[in-house]
Amino acid sequence: MVVQKEKKTINRLKSMYPLRAKVNETYLKSIEAIQAGKPAVWGMLNFYYGDPILKAMDIEVVYPENYGAIAAAMGVARQYLDRADAEGFPTHLCGYSLTTLGYASRMMKELKGQIPPEAPLGGMPKPLFLMSSAAICDARYKWFQALGRYMDVPVWPLEAPIPGIKEFFIEGYYDKMMKLGVKHLRDFVAFVEKMVGKKMDWDRLDKTANLMIEVNRVWHEVNELRKARPCPMHSRDFWSAMPAALFLAGDLEDSLRLYQDMYREVKDRVNNHVGAIPDEKYRMVFAELPPWHSLAFFDKLAERGWNFVIESFGYHPPIPLDLSKVSDPLERITKFSLQFLVGYFEDARKQNVLGGTSAYPYLKYVKEWKCDGALLHPLITCRSASTHLPYVSDMLIEKLNVPSLSIEGDIVDLRLFNPEDALAKAEPFEETMEHYKRMRKQAGFDW
Amino acid sequence: MSDKNKGLNKAREIYLDSSRRAKELKAADKKIIGYPCVYVPVEMLTALDLVPYRTCADMKEPVTEADRALPHSFCPVMRNCLDCALKGKNDFLDGMVAIHSCDPQEKTARIWESYTHYPYFHFIDMPITVRPEALEYFKGQLNDFRKTLEAFTGKKLSADKLEAAIKSHNQQRALVRELYELTKSSPPHVSGTEIVQVVKALTSLPVAEGNNLLTETIGEVKKRAARPEKKSARLLIWSSTLDDTDIMQVFEAKANVVMNESCGGVRAYRGEVKLTADRLEGLADYYLNEITCARTFRQAALGETRKDYGRDLQSRFGYLKGAIKDWKINGVVMLLVRYCDPFAFEIPSLKDYLNSIGVPSTYIEYDYTTGALAPMRTRVEAFIETISQ
Ligand code: SF4
Ligand code: SF4
Repeated sequence: MVVQKEKKTINRLKSMYPLRAKVNETYLKSIEAIQAGKPAVWGMLNFYYGDPILKAMDIEVVYPENYGAIAAAMGVARQYLDRADAEGFPTHLCGYSLTTLGYASRMMKELKGQIPPEAPLGGMPKPLFLMSSAAICDARYKWFQALGRYMDVPVWPLEAPIPGIKEFFIEGYYDKMMKLGVKHLRDFVAFVEKMVGKKMDWDRLDKTANLMIEVNRVWHEVNELRKARPCPMHSRDFWSAMPAALFLAGDLEDSLRLYQDMYREVKDRVNNHVGAIPDEKYRMVFAELPPWHSLAFFDKLAERGWNFVIESFGYHPPIPLDLSKVSDPLERITKFSLQFLVGYFEDARKQNVLGGTSAYPYLKYVKEWKCDGALLHPLITCRSASTHLPYVSDMLIEKLNVPSLSIEGDIVDLRLFNPEDALAKAEPFEETMEHYKRMRKQAGFDW
Repeated sequence: MSDKNKGLNKAREIYLDSSRRAKELKAADKKIIGYPCVYVPVEMLTALDLVPYRTCADMKEPVTEADRALPHSFCPVMRNCLDCALKGKNDFLDGMVAIHSCDPQEKTARIWESYTHYPYFHFIDMPITVRPEALEYFKGQLNDFRKTLEAFTGKKLSADKLEAAIKSHNQQRALVRELYELTKSSPPHVSGTEIVQVVKALTSLPVAEGNNLLTETIGEVKKRAARPEKKSARLLIWSSTLDDTDIMQVFEAKANVVMNESCGGVRAYRGEVKLTADRLEGLADYYLNEITCARTFRQAALGETRKDYGRDLQSRFGYLKGAIKDWKINGVVMLLVRYCDPFAFEIPSLKDYLNSIGVPSTYIEYDYTTGALAPMRTRVEAFIETISQ
């Protein structure tokens, strides 16, 4: 008897599982270590500026932004949001920030510093200090400043220059950004030393910085392989694997090995024409933060032949840069962090796409990964991940004849994202994609 | 009877048609440079004989065009500003200078530059801390700004010209403070609504004309017999921007607004640019350190191992205490524009601070549309009733 196998939708990478398991294991180990008295810092995603420094100092870092997503998915965010509301924080603020503020108020005002018993995954213990960041959104430093109402710990807001695309090419501009970055990080190191009462091990920082750069280089190369048709790796694998490179979660040597394994597996798929979904009809780009709680939605789209071949600029590693001759690790870290932002500037300037750091990459993605459509996910309370989306949509249709489908959601109010509604829009959007495919052909594009 | 072309009347006329003078100047071959935020160092424009013109939002204008470029849940002031630009209301500009004072300013600048075609467009990046390396970086940004302005005008920004411009703008700041001295009395000599008109006029005129207007206005106000009616409350309004008389009148129907702590009021005029040997240093220091806006990160002492909340509040909001005492303010309104993150995060802490110095406060949020005025009125009346008892 022939056993009817369930139709496969997304063909997940085998190498993703051990990588993801490492990330999860590291997280739980880190919580255990903190509970046993190891100092912890609350950090914001800072695009590499501060993380290698804390890692080299062997400090555990928890990211309330990520914890906000966990709290939302586990259904405990509501009580923290209500609390933040009662404390007088405007409800339109970033949902993750409100979750954290409500959480901090519960932990510090009600429980005298004890972790709330309902907090999932061991909760977030009181930090030694807060490492915020000026990158990407105002919430990142104002939110940690606001935590001062509940915790007597200092905040270090990491400066992160955001140049204009045109201005970046003014002579001497880059050097000035470097000067700011390096001096700032040097002072940050001194601050961290004071906070933990021990000196930086500079050799260790040197090694950490190199590993961070190498991990991200390999990770970049993995994603380059996704230009192949059919695309061998789906966005779901990207999102599962990215924390090890973006947050430096886990031991970096382990991560390097695991990303190399992933590279081999993806390459192998490319050589054998194995796609991430069985029948790739539409190659898609996704922007920006995924609906973490409804990822199964992508399986439904995969059944329709939608393969997500590239995604979320804000989570992608910087375009590789040879930093082997930069001897000062702080300089190397600064250059690497800046590269995340400015790596696309030369291209953007050439094409006169001035619409911002987060917008241009989508033009490149769609062109080089040969996408048929973009799925945009604007979020009510995360404006930084949404602001550029109308512009992106405009730019893609105008310059490349590639249409976008916009589906609204939110980071904490999960009811806002309606997968059924979204799926109902899929079919008519396929017709739109077909139409533009013809338009592209006529206009001489090669996909 | 006061002269229609002088003082308060003139300010009202300019308020109602703020681009008229700029267009006249343009017809007389002057170059007009727009700027959306008071963090832009206008002294550098003045020194090069460029006319700085603040591209304000217009609350009465329904946003239609900006929808294609910005999402709905986004600072409505910047959406409105951009909308005006996309409708061609600023097409007379020769250029535009935007600055990274907050995230929406930065994001809007990119889109503005992409969708419009002024001969000149420059973006100034701005750090968030007041640390020495941040100040140094910001000075570098001003130096780059200088280079692009010089290239655009074909003129050198001479030290003498910059010094003269700094002096004129400092004089303007001093005159605005002098005008605010006239709100100390009870009833005040000049209303909050009139000051909104004056400040908006100042940002639409060359500095010398603005200074004349201020001198006339101060003289007129000091002499006039009819003062604004005395109301039961004296308010300070703390906001990102309060630049519309309709909003102000919601408050002034029931109270005297004696301090408008926003960039439509006193914020850009409280301090003074120091004439340092390196002129750009004085400018960088003033704009980064002296303007007290929520966008800049301050805490009691960065690098301490513990934070003291009381001192932290003092470092963030201490500048309000003197005004509250000297202007005998008995109520503070925290007027928040929806989706304005830098100010929104401050609300509970500012309330803590105001409680600590014993002044009642309330928080009102609105979306920068005329539709928001009616509910705002109800909130204001309730607050004033509470504090007047
Ligand atoms: S607004 Fe968005 S990017 Fe900023 S902290 Fe919140 S979730 Fe993160
Ligand atoms: S400070 Fe607030 S109101 Fe002003 S532009 Fe920024 S977000 Fe908008």
